[in-house]
Amino acid sequence: MVAGKRRGKKNPTYFDYNLLFITIFLLCFGLVMVYSSSSYTSANKYGDSAYYLKLQLRNILIGIIPMFFLAKIDYRVWKRLGTMAYIGSFALCTLVLIPIPGLTRSSHGQSRWLWLGPVSFQPSEIAKLAVIVFMATLIERTCRQLVEVKSLVKVLLIMAPLLGVIAYNNLSTAIIIFGIIVCMLFVASPRYLQFIIVGVIGIAFSLVFVVAASYRGGRIEAWLHPEEAGDAGYQTLQGLYAIGSGGLFGKGLGESLQKMGNVPESQNDMIFSIICEELGLFGAVSVILLFILLIWRMMIIANNAKDLFGALVVSGVMSHIAIQVILNISVVTNTIPNTGVILPFISYGGTSLIFLMAEVGLVLSVSRGIRLENVSL
Amino acid sequence: MVKRKRKPPKKFSRKMRGKLMTLFSVIVLLLCGLIGRLMYIEYTSGEKYEKKVLSLQSYDSKAIPYRRGDIVDSSGTLLATSVAVYNVILDCSVMTDREEYIAPTIQALTECFPQLDRGDLEIYAKDQKDSKYIVLLKKLPYDEVQPFVELQDAVDEDGNRINPNIKGVWFEKEYQRTYPYGQLAASVIGFTASGNVGTLGLENYYDSVLNGVNGREYGYLNSDNNFEKTVIPAQDGKTLVCSIDANIQSIVEKKILEFNEAYKDNHEEGPGSKNTAVIIMNPNNGRILAMANYPTFDLNNPRDLSEFHTEAELEELSDEDLLEELNRLWQNYCVTETYEPGSVQKPLTVACGIETGTVKKNTTFECDGGEQFDSWVSCVVRSGHGTETVEKSLMDSCNDALMQMSYRIGAENFLEYQSIFGFGQQTGIDLPGEASAASLMFTLDNIKPIDLATNSFGQNYNCTMIQMGAAFCSLINGGTYYQPQIVAKITDAEGNTIKENTPQAVKQTVSASTGALLKEYMLHTVSDGTGKTAKVDGYSMGGKTGTAQKYPRGNGKYLVSFLGYAPNENPQLMIYCVVDEPNVEDQPHSYFAQDIVREILEEVLPYMSIYPDEKKTGINEGLDVTGTNTQWKGGNPPPPQTDMTGGREDGEEDEEDDGGGSPEDGEDGDGGDSPSDPKPPDEEEDPDTGDDGEGGIDLPEGGGPGGGNAPPGDDPDDAADPGSGDNEDNEDNQDNGDDGA
Repeated sequence: MVAGKRRGKKNPTYFDYNLLFITIFLLCFGLVMVYSSSSYTSANKYGDSAYYLKLQLRNILIGIIPMFFLAKIDYRVWKRLGTMAYIGSFALCTLVLIPIPGLTRSSHGQSRWLWLGPVSFQPSEIAKLAVIVFMATLIERTCRQLVEVKSLVKVLLIMAPLLGVIAYNNLSTAIIIFGIIVCMLFVASPRYLQFIIVGVIGIAFSLVFVVAASYRGGRIEAWLHPEEAGDAGYQTLQGLYAIGSGGLFGKGLGESLQKMGNVPESQNDMIFSIICEELGLFGAVSVILLFILLIWRMMIIANNAKDLFGALVVSGVMSHIAIQVILNISVVTNTIPNTGVILPFISYGGTSLIFLMAEVGLVLSVSRGIRLENVSL
Repeated sequence: MVKRKRKPPKKFSRKMRGKLMTLFSVIVLLLCGLIGRLMYIEYTSGEKYEKKVLSLQSYDSKAIPYRRGDIVDSSGTLLATSVAVYNVILDCSVMTDREEYIAPTIQALTECFPQLDRGDLEIYAKDQKDSKYIVLLKKLPYDEVQPFVELQDAVDEDGNRINPNIKGVWFEKEYQRTYPYGQLAASVIGFTASGNVGTLGLENYYDSVLNGVNGREYGYLNSDNNFEKTVIPAQDGKTLVCSIDANIQSIVEKKILEFNEAYKDNHEEGPGSKNTAVIIMNPNNGRILAMANYPTFDLNNPRDLSEFHTEAELEELSDEDLLEELNRLWQNYCVTETYEPGSVQKPLTVACGIETGTVKKNTTFECDGGEQFDSWVSCVVRSGHGTETVEKSLMDSCNDALMQMSYRIGAENFLEYQSIFGFGQQTGIDLPGEASAASLMFTLDNIKPIDLATNSFGQNYNCTMIQMGAAFCSLINGGTYYQPQIVAKITDAEGNTIKENTPQAVKQTVSASTGALLKEYMLHTVSDGTGKTAKVDGYSMGGKTGTAQKYPRGNGKYLVSFLGYAPNENPQLMIYCVVDEPNVEDQPHSYFAQDIVREILEEVLPYMSIYPDEKKTGINEGLDVTGTNTQWKGGNPPPPQTDMTGGREDGEEDEEDDGGGSPEDGEDGDGGDSPSDPKPPDEEEDPDTGDDGEGGIDLPEGGGPGGGNAPPGDDPDDAADPGSGDNEDNEDNQDNGDDGA
C-alpha cells in the first residue's frame, strides 16, 4: 500500500472527466427535455408546468450521492458483495410479486413497485446493478472455464431464477438483464459461435414470451400496423407523427405540438420522439452520438482497467446503457414492438435514474484505478 | 493484503479487449442503423406526419355559447330570456389518476347533488377510468351548482384548500330559453326549438337579431412559440324591447279566458268560442299594446295539448294530426287568419263616401228591410229601419242604408278606398306569417253590384284583424295610416339602444275632418246605438259592432266583433275584439265581443292613466264578462243561454248585418224571399274557401271575389239589378284563391 501510494504520486492516477461531463451533459439535457415535454400536460393535470422538472431534479440530486460515493470508494470492495447483491435483489424481486398492502404497489396493471415509507422503488432496477456486479464476480472466478459451453450454460442456470422472477411481470427489464449477461459473457469468453447461437436462442426466447403474454399480443399488431391497431397502436403512431413532423432541424426547443396530450407519457419512454420533433434529425443524431461517445469512453476505461473485475463491471454498465438506448430508440421508431424501456439519463425516472448514476459512479471508480503509464486506447 | 500482492489480480486480456471492441462496434452499428431508420421515417412520411400533427391540433378548441337576447315589454318586464344552466361533467381520467382523489370526489358529488347515485359513480371510477367526458347531470341552475364549487374552492385561514382531492369535475355552461310568464302573449313572442332556432312570433321574425355569435377558446403558438390559450368571447344576442305592455296584455288575456271559461260547454261541448282575439293599439303611432288570442298555449311547454284533449285522445292522434293541431294552436289569430269582418267595415265605407263626396252628411236613406238583387239581401230589422241618416245608419248598423250608400259611392271609389285602407295588402307588422287576403278581394273586373253592396257592410271579402285595426286607427287619429309595430327598439346585451323602430306613417287615408265626423258617429253608436254594451261608464268611447255571417251561409255560425277606441277627443287606444263562433245556441250578437271589450277597458283605461271624461250614468253597471248582472243575481255562475240573451235590453243590439241569424227569422226557406237552397255537403266552413252562389238566407251574394255560380234556376227575381247574379257571369270565376291565412 505504501509503495502503491508512492508510485501513485509518481504516476498520477487517472479520472475520466470525459465520462463525467458527458453524463452531466446528458442529465442536464434530460432535464430540459423533461420540462419541455411535460410542461403542458403537467400544467393541465397538476397546475404546475414544472411538476416533472422538479421531481427529475430531485432524483438527480439524490442520484449524485451514490454516484459520488461509488466513485470515491475502491470498486474492489463490491467483489465480496456480489453474491449477496444477487440474493438480495432476487429476494426483492420476489417480494414485489406478492401483494402486501402498504408495501407493494401496482401501476399500469403490473406490480413493479416496492413502497417503503415515503420511498417507492422498482427492485428490477436494483437487479440490473446487482447482476452487473455479480456477473463480474462470477466471471472473474471462472473465466478460464468459459471456453466450454457447459460453464456458459451453468452461468445462465445460475441467473435463470432471477430472470424468471423479473420476466414474470416486467419482460423488458428481463430482456435487458439477459442482454447484459450475454454481453458480459461474450466479452469474457474467447468464443464467438456460441454467442451467435445464444443470440438466436435469446431472440426465440423473447418471441415465445411475446406470444405467450396476452397483453403483448396487441402490441405485435400495433407494431406491424400501427395505423390500424386503434388504441394499441396509438402511442406508437403518435410517436411516429412526432418524429416525422420534426424535419431536419425540428420545430425548435419547446415547440412540440405532440407533447400536448397526444404522445402519452411523453416525458418517459417516448421522450426521444419529442427530441426528434423539437430538435429534428440533427438533434436526434447528436443525442445518439453522445451516447456512442459515452459508450466509447466506457470501452476505453474497461480496456485500461487495472483488473478483470473492474473491466467486466464497466463492460456490464456499458452493455446496460447501450441496450437501453438501442431498445428505447427502436421502440420509438417502431423498429421493434412497443415495450417500456426508458432512454438513459434523459427520460424522466426515479429508481432507474438513480441506479444509472450509481453505475456511472462505479465506472468512474474503475477509471480512478487506471495507471497512466500503461494507458492504451 | 500480502496474499493479494502475491496473487496479482486477473487482467483484462487482449482477447477480451478485442471482443469488447467487437461489442462496441455492434452497438455503434445498431445505433447507426437506428439513425438510418430515423432518416427513413423522416424521408418517407415526414410531410404526411407533419400534416397529421397539425390536424390533430384542432381538437383543442372549444366553443363558448352566446346568450340569446331577451324579449322585454315596454317597461322592461322580461317576457323571454335565456338563463345560464350547467351540465355537470366528470373527467374520470383525472378523478382516477390517484386513488386518494376518488373517495372525496364521489363524496362531494353525492353530497352536493343528491340526485346522483353513489353506486353509478363508483362504477364510472372502476370501469370508465379513461373517459374524459361523462355528463352526470344536465341543465342545473346556478344555485344548484354553487354548493359544489364552494366546497371545491373552500380554503382555511392559511389559504390552503380544504378539499384538495376533489378532482375531475367541471361545469359546462349552456343557455336555456325560458318564458317567465308562460302563456302571456304566447303566439306573439313565440318560442325556440333546440339550438336557438326561433319557431314562432318575434322569436322567429327577429331570430337573427336575437342570436349572437359563439365564442371560441383555443390554443395556439404565439410569436415566441409558446403555447397560449386564447378566448374569443361570445357575442351575446340583442334584446327586443316590445311595445307590448305586459300588464295590458295580461288583463286582455285574463278577460278572454274568463269569457271562454264562462261559455265552455255552454251550447255544445267544447271551448267557449272557436277563436277569441283582441288587439289593442296606440292609434297615434301604430304600436301594438296587446295582442292576444284564444286558444293559446304555454311557451315553456308549447307541445302540451292536455288542456284541450284527454290523454286517451292524444294517444289516438297521428303525428300529422298532432302537428296540425299544434300548428292551429300556435297561430297568431290577429295576424295570420283572415275572415269576413262584418259591420265593423261600415265606418270605413261611410268615410269613403264622405271623403269622395258621394255621400253627404245630410243624405238620407230609406230602409225597407233589405235590397233585392238576384236574391234578397236583408237588413237586420226585417221590417226596415225607415228613414236613416248617415249617422243613424251607423248607430243602427243598417245594412240597407249602407247598400244604398255603396250605389252612390260606386265600385271604383269603394275599391280604391279599400286599397287605401290597406285591405288585400300585408300591413308589414314585424311578425311572421302575416296574411294579406289579396285573393279574397274583389277587383274592378269581377265586382258585381251585389258584391259591392255586401262588401259595404263587411261581407264577402276577407281581412285580418291587424289590417282592420290599422285601417281603423287611421280613421280615428286624423287620417294617418301607421304601419303596425311590435318591437319599439333593439338594444344590445348591456341595454344600449342599437336601433329605434320609429313609428312609420305610411300614408294619409282620409282627411282629418272626415275622421272627426266618423268619430262623432261612432261616439253616438256606443252611447246610443248598437255599441252600448261596450260602454265603460264615465269614458267617452266610440266604436262599431260587427256580426258577420260565416260560410256556409245559414249554418248559424257567426263571427262577432267590436272595434272601438277611447277617449273620443284624443284617442289613446284602439281596441278590436273578435269572437269567432261563440259557444252559444244563438250566435249573432255582437255583445259577446262588447262584453269582453268593456271588461278589458274597465281595467286598462285606469291603468293607462286615462281619466274619466264623462259623467257616470250607471250604464252597464255590475255586468260581468258574460253580460250578466252579478248584482242582480248575487253570483255569476255560468248562466244558461237563455239568461244571457234574456238579460239584454232590446233588439237594438242585435244589429246583425243580416237579420237572418235572429231567432225569430226562420232558417233557410223562410219567407220565400231567399233562394234557400241547401248548401252543398262538401262545403267548407272557412269563409275564404269558395264563395259560390249558394244563397244564404239574407246574403245571397253572387259570389265572393272568386266569384261563384248561383245554382241554376234559383233566382226568382230576374228584375233585380242588371248583371247581378247571372249564371253566365259567374261560372268562370270558380277559382277562389285560398289565401293560406
